[in-house]
Amino acid sequence: MPENDHAVPRRTLPEDGDFPPNPHAGFVEFGLATCFSFLRGASDAVDLAQEAWALGYDALGCADLNSLAGVVRLHVEAKKAALLPLIGCRVQLLSGEEFLAYPEDREAYGRLSRMLSKGKMQDAEGGWQAKGACDLTLDDLAGLGAGVHLIFLPPPSLAGLEKALPRLARRLPGLGYLAASHLYRGTDRARINRLDRLAGQAGLRLLATNDVLYHTAARRPLQDVMTCIREKVTIAEAGPLIAPNAERHLKSPAEMARLFAEWPHALRATRELADRLHFSLDELRYEYPREVVPGGRSPQEYLEELTWAGAEDRYPGGPPAEVKATLRKELAMIEKLDIARYFLTIHDIIRYARDLASPPILCQGRGSAANSAVCYVLGITAVDPAQHQLLFERFISEERKEPPDIDVDFEHERREEVIQHIYGKYGRERAGLCATVIHYRPRSAIREVGKVMGLSEDVTGALAKTVWGSWGTSVDGGHAKEAGLDLSDPVLRKTLILARELIGMPRHLGQHVGGFILTERPLTETVPVGNGAMPERSFIEWDKDDIDALGILKVDILALGMLTCIRKCFDLISAHYGTTLTLATTPREDPRVYEMLCRGDSIGVFQVESRAQINMLPRLRPRTFYDLVIEVAIVRPGPIQGDMVHPYLRRRSGEEAVDYPSPAPPHDPAELKSILGRTLGVPIFQEQAMKIAIDAARFSPAEANELRKAMATFRSRGTIGKLEEKMVGRMVARGYDPDFARRCFDQIKGFGEYGFPESHAASFAHLVYVSSWLKKHYPAAFCAALLNSQPMGFYAPAQLVRDAREHGVEVRPPDVNYSEWDSTLEPASSSGGFALRLGLRQITGFRAEAAQRLIAAREAPYRDVKDLQERGGLSAAEIRRLAEADAVRSLFIDRRQALWEAKALRDAPDLPLFRETRDEGEEIPVPLPVMPVCEQVVADYQTIRLSLKAHPMAFLRKSLGKQGYITAETLKSARPWQRVKMAGLVLVRQRPGTAKGVCFITLEDETGVANLVVWPKVMESYRKTVMQSRLLVIHGVVQRDVEIIHIIAEHLEDRTDALMRLAPDGARQAGAPAPSHPRNVKLIPPSRDFH
Amino acid sequence: MTQAGKLPLPSAPTTPARHPSGARPQWRAGSELPDRGEAPPPQLTRRITAIHLPRFAMERWQRALARRGDAPPEDIPQALATEGPHGPVIHATNRAAEEAGISAGARVVDMRALCPELRVDYADLAGDRAALERLVLWARRWCPWTAADLSAPAPAAGGVAGLVMDTTGSDHLMGGEAAMLRAMEEQLSTLGISASPATAPTHGAAWALARYAPPRGLCPPEALAQVVAPLPVAALRLAPQTVLLLQRLGLGRIGDLTAVPRISLARRFSRAPLAENPLLRLDQMMGRLAEPVSAGEDPPRFAVQSRLAEPVQDPTAWLPELCRELCGGLAAAGFGARRLTVSVYRTDGEVSSVSAATARASRDPDHLCRLFEGRLERIDPGFGFDLITLAAPVVEDLRTIQTRLDRREDDGAELARLIDRLAARLGPGALRRPDPAPSHIPERAEAWAAAMGHPKPATGSTPAAPRPLRLLYPPEELRVLYAVPEGPPAQFVWRRLTHRVARFAGPERIAPEWWRDRPGARLRDYYRVEDQSGRRFWIFREGILGDGRGHEPAWFLHGVFG
Repeated sequence: MPENDHAVPRRTLPEDGDFPPNPHAGFVEFGLATCFSFLRGASDAVDLAQEAWALGYDALGCADLNSLAGVVRLHVEAKKAALLPLIGCRVQLLSGEEFLAYPEDREAYGRLSRMLSKGKMQDAEGGWQAKGACDLTLDDLAGLGAGVHLIFLPPPSLAGLEKALPRLARRLPGLGYLAASHLYRGTDRARINRLDRLAGQAGLRLLATNDVLYHTAARRPLQDVMTCIREKVTIAEAGPLIAPNAERHLKSPAEMARLFAEWPHALRATRELADRLHFSLDELRYEYPREVVPGGRSPQEYLEELTWAGAEDRYPGGPPAEVKATLRKELAMIEKLDIARYFLTIHDIIRYARDLASPPILCQGRGSAANSAVCYVLGITAVDPAQHQLLFERFISEERKEPPDIDVDFEHERREEVIQHIYGKYGRERAGLCATVIHYRPRSAIREVGKVMGLSEDVTGALAKTVWGSWGTSVDGGHAKEAGLDLSDPVLRKTLILARELIGMPRHLGQHVGGFILTERPLTETVPVGNGAMPERSFIEWDKDDIDALGILKVDILALGMLTCIRKCFDLISAHYGTTLTLATTPREDPRVYEMLCRGDSIGVFQVESRAQINMLPRLRPRTFYDLVIEVAIVRPGPIQGDMVHPYLRRRSGEEAVDYPSPAPPHDPAELKSILGRTLGVPIFQEQAMKIAIDAARFSPAEANELRKAMATFRSRGTIGKLEEKMVGRMVARGYDPDFARRCFDQIKGFGEYGFPESHAASFAHLVYVSSWLKKHYPAAFCAALLNSQPMGFYAPAQLVRDAREHGVEVRPPDVNYSEWDSTLEPASSSGGFALRLGLRQITGFRAEAAQRLIAAREAPYRDVKDLQERGGLSAAEIRRLAEADAVRSLFIDRRQALWEAKALRDAPDLPLFRETRDEGEEIPVPLPVMPVCEQVVADYQTIRLSLKAHPMAFLRKSLGKQGYITAETLKSARPWQRVKMAGLVLVRQRPGTAKGVCFITLEDETGVANLVVWPKVMESYRKTVMQSRLLVIHGVVQRDVEIIHIIAEHLEDRTDALMRLAPDGARQAGAPAPSHPRNVKLIPPSRDFH
Repeated sequence: MTQAGKLPLPSAPTTPARHPSGARPQWRAGSELPDRGEAPPPQLTRRITAIHLPRFAMERWQRALARRGDAPPEDIPQALATEGPHGPVIHATNRAAEEAGISAGARVVDMRALCPELRVDYADLAGDRAALERLVLWARRWCPWTAADLSAPAPAAGGVAGLVMDTTGSDHLMGGEAAMLRAMEEQLSTLGISASPATAPTHGAAWALARYAPPRGLCPPEALAQVVAPLPVAALRLAPQTVLLLQRLGLGRIGDLTAVPRISLARRFSRAPLAENPLLRLDQMMGRLAEPVSAGEDPPRFAVQSRLAEPVQDPTAWLPELCRELCGGLAAAGFGARRLTVSVYRTDGEVSSVSAATARASRDPDHLCRLFEGRLERIDPGFGFDLITLAAPVVEDLRTIQTRLDRREDDGAELARLIDRLAARLGPGALRRPDPAPSHIPERAEAWAAAMGHPKPATGSTPAAPRPLRLLYPPEELRVLYAVPEGPPAQFVWRRLTHRVARFAGPERIAPEWWRDRPGARLRDYYRVEDQSGRRFWIFREGILGDGRGHEPAWFLHGVFG
């Protein structure tokens, strides 16, 4: 899930905060930088708004450096604190002059936004602008017109300003003010007097500002640290780079009046300017693109037309009566909420993917509104809500005046086509990707602050380690003590305090994975658009929370590897078996598919292929589609953390009676039955938890909305504690079991990060079912499609191929005379079915263009390596890659001989003069030693990441067997609590955050895989062995539960040396022990191959 | 061309017998391709010693810490790291880290996951290189042709250094090769450097033996092929990818490689660069391709002497001449002296020395001579001296640069000379110079540094606000009349005199440096004030009433203008 932008919660003022409006103040601060002036401003909008309200302001400006990235946040928070937000920007020109720019109305705002977009998309010479830069010139500024009020910020030295200022005033129609600050620099009075004189000469007015960088003086240390990070110095050597005092904080209007007592007109100017600005971000009301509705019809009419037409297609012979009723109900609600155009926009994108793109791109919608009957008949989803009792009202609420949420997944290899289509259709002017704000995480914050404070790499490393995992959000002293650090040391203490302040501060803007916004008028007039790091990508300055806050609609265009795989599999099936399938026409509710899943046989299948899911399948024993929906949703940190899994399993297997927690009389005892009926009385989905809050804890819609937001960012300190008290307290008061109430709330907290709403789970479950069906009925095609869609999924090609072979698929190695670029099917030798031929894409470092040349010239089989070079048009280096991968067996030479011959080839031009003789004379045949099989296997793993010849463990089996080591195969028949010892290659090590330090290891030998459990205590004593082994030996006890077998580790041994003896010396290069994704684990350490 | 054919071929004395001279084209004589099947026997007359220093970087770091009295414990895993493209990368490890499985070239983050107690410091690559250069000079005690061994391809993971020396004919001074190698190992270990030396007829073979064979390997010329045959091909100083290729081809040992016909190897590798060319490397190892040790020159030494016919009591009269001579030598080589030593040799065999230093490199004879003024008298002459030497043990590059068009010299030189002379008289410890420091706090804005060192380059901008010429240390407390809480001073009493403030400017507010001041430190508001008689002062108020850091703020006088 692309939910990483949620990892650092957005702080926000409470909805129902108590902020009575302040009376008109005599001063308005315009020179205010938020933390979106990256590494300059040290306070975020929440603190600034709260502080401003407390100081007695009634309006607050916001001017970040060449950016409007922070204005939405300030707008939202200021409104909550009963302040009038004034939206502007601090403009720094290439020539160095700085101005504050405040637009008067919507048109002026559009011009300002367009100017910033231009500076961010083109550099001064008109070329492609680098990411993050913004080049603006005086001409750009002059083009803003009179509607944008400019305030000139004088440089530290006033020399030359007498001449420059009148010139600027003539040039810039909007320039009316000259800023003056009283910052306790020793010469303030003289300076302001001089500025006053200069302003008078140039016809400008003096305007007071405190040039604010932080909300209170206490934030000065953080600002100093930010300056040091920006300038890459330590605090001790920063000297003149940082400010001498802490005066650039937000000062009260009274304080400003005292400082500017001699120049009261400078204060009056701020008030007058504020009163002239009447632009609000609320004016950026969303205008849907008009293209999606053909002329002459209202969107609602058109949507209804499409809906009924789609219903005829979906239900041949007409939709059933209850479907008709549902559709009518949903259409009425869509009309009421006026969101027809939203559905039409998505329908339009889907229609492109399905009908206009060639070949069609597989796609599926998900999200709160996706499981409506309307979406089903429009073809946005393939889950029939009528069959699965997924009701629209559950996903869309009238109280939330926000657009509904539909994400659309596309094939991951072809999402770019969809994106380019959107750009093409609406134009770069009107379509843009959202930004993702990259925040300081605890680790990065500690590292950066530690570096500035002059701490050594060791100490910052130890401090950073006190935060477990990348999702740790807080830093606390207890952990530091654990790491052996003395927190009474003032430097360390300050480092921790500052790091805590830095966490959550924005660091830079990234590009959202697929959130698009589409507008009717040019997008650049709504929000500045900047270039991404990738060429041909541009994104807007606001992230999806900002978009939501303004009520602007966005469409998520996401990539899903499994859709690519399914489409490729459909293609293979229709090419070889003549059956045409689609997501919607895959036969439903096939009992053989569920049987396969009940066995936990799900490698390669969408979502349920992870080890935790494989273990869950035999316990849950899915029999219907809805069981899959639950399966997908239940193995998530949310339900696990809320301890919902075991009660559900017990109830499902009949060990425990299904009962519904009920309130004390006089309340309706069955009020939870309607919510929890489908899940046997255990809340599993996000919406259920919400419903419980509304029905059982009597949350008002507004409170529920707050809870929903807090769920997304459950660590917004303070808020969540208040909500917990409220919810648990009210439930207990109404007679619920306190234990149940607390568990419900725990689950809500867990959902915040990794919970599934039912609608998401249903969409995913559909893909689970389709991929399982393909695996069951067409294992060879499914495996080929998986290999052709890499990288995706959880497993490496070696495991996928092994699984396919266990299901009776014949797998053949890649070969220059048989393979295509992709893996293909060819007639099997024995059964009349199909065998899987691995594609050339499997060969590391071999490129698609080379494969195309090779295949294009393959009208007759290649005879020798010379032929490959001359006819196949391959370079010597490319032939070497093929030879190393042993893909030239059909030339009747083995890997070693092929490599030897390939090395003799040269890329020299084949000129007649040199053809006859070689300068070294005739070739002498050299008898090379035969490559032993074990070396072959090692080389196979190094070049194609799998081996069809043998499993590395097979070479050790004889000696292992003698010593009494069992295989994965014999483990299946082991008694519970039997003591066993086993050896195998480490496939995956996992230490999930929900497992309280337990480490799960998957071992593989030539007969299968085995699952190990390492308890924390054992883990501590064998840490090195666990982390480093490639060949692990385990002594332990067998634990059986249904069909799930674990070995509980008692003693572990690292026998990587035995594995290394298989390989020649050169392969003994130790790799990094912690690969990023289990999929990338190579059994035998990767080697640097020659190029 | 015609002569070339008549010359005896130095590397192939037997070839004429096998090739009828008429059959061999004359023009190929000089470029004899050694690929006709039988290679000419090499001339293996030299003896090359290679010393492998497997832990040079780590040991140097350990010694540096030990010198600071902070010797790192041996049993704690320790690594040195360099900056890689994706975060720091391990560069060198100690034994404990190696045992914990820390491997050079891996990322520090990954290694920390493996071994949480690993300590990491940054490697000093430039320092290591300089230390190796110094070690080369030190190792010239065994033979003059000693150089740092840079012939191997840059290792993927650093921290591996080596020396190479041409010890032909010098081993007997140490009692034979075996004794010499033992002596090398011992003496290097007294420096705290573990070393593994080996001697062989070629550089390549010595390099291989030092790294891939039992310690103190000795290889006589006739046994060369035999000794190297079982070594892995990595011992050929090949790049890792070539080693992997050869292993894939089943040619894992040097012996396997020599068994392959030359022509086959030549076809496959002849155009590869040296580090990827097993053929050239093999030729180097077997002596078919010359690879002489090229030792760099010794650094220049500057010393002059004056031998006297009669013993004298006072060497002063000879000094100007010696200085002129020394400076002539320095000027010819483009150097200037930073340190000078006069040594006088008494007739009874006693030797006394007097040293002087300069603040910057100089070769001005008068100036250098003056540094010894009055310092030679202190030497007890006994029955007189008959030899005086003047040496410049520390020199620096000093190029002749014209800095100005008029004939005056640039300003820095005068100051340096003054410093030199004062230091020569008063001792270098007695001289200090102010040094700007990065701080806003006035008394911290300058530090005092030894005058003889290099002055720091001026760092950026100096604070724009005016500062008094004279700062009082410590500031003197005043009694001041002012309007609370933040008003300017109206009248103050300093040293029992009352000053009325006629004019003032300010305040300039300087907050405490939060990262090093104690938590209760108060900010200062500085005012420039002028009293009724026109005297200007710099006074400050420490704190503001109600800042929560103490009671009534106090006032101080911190400096005086003009």
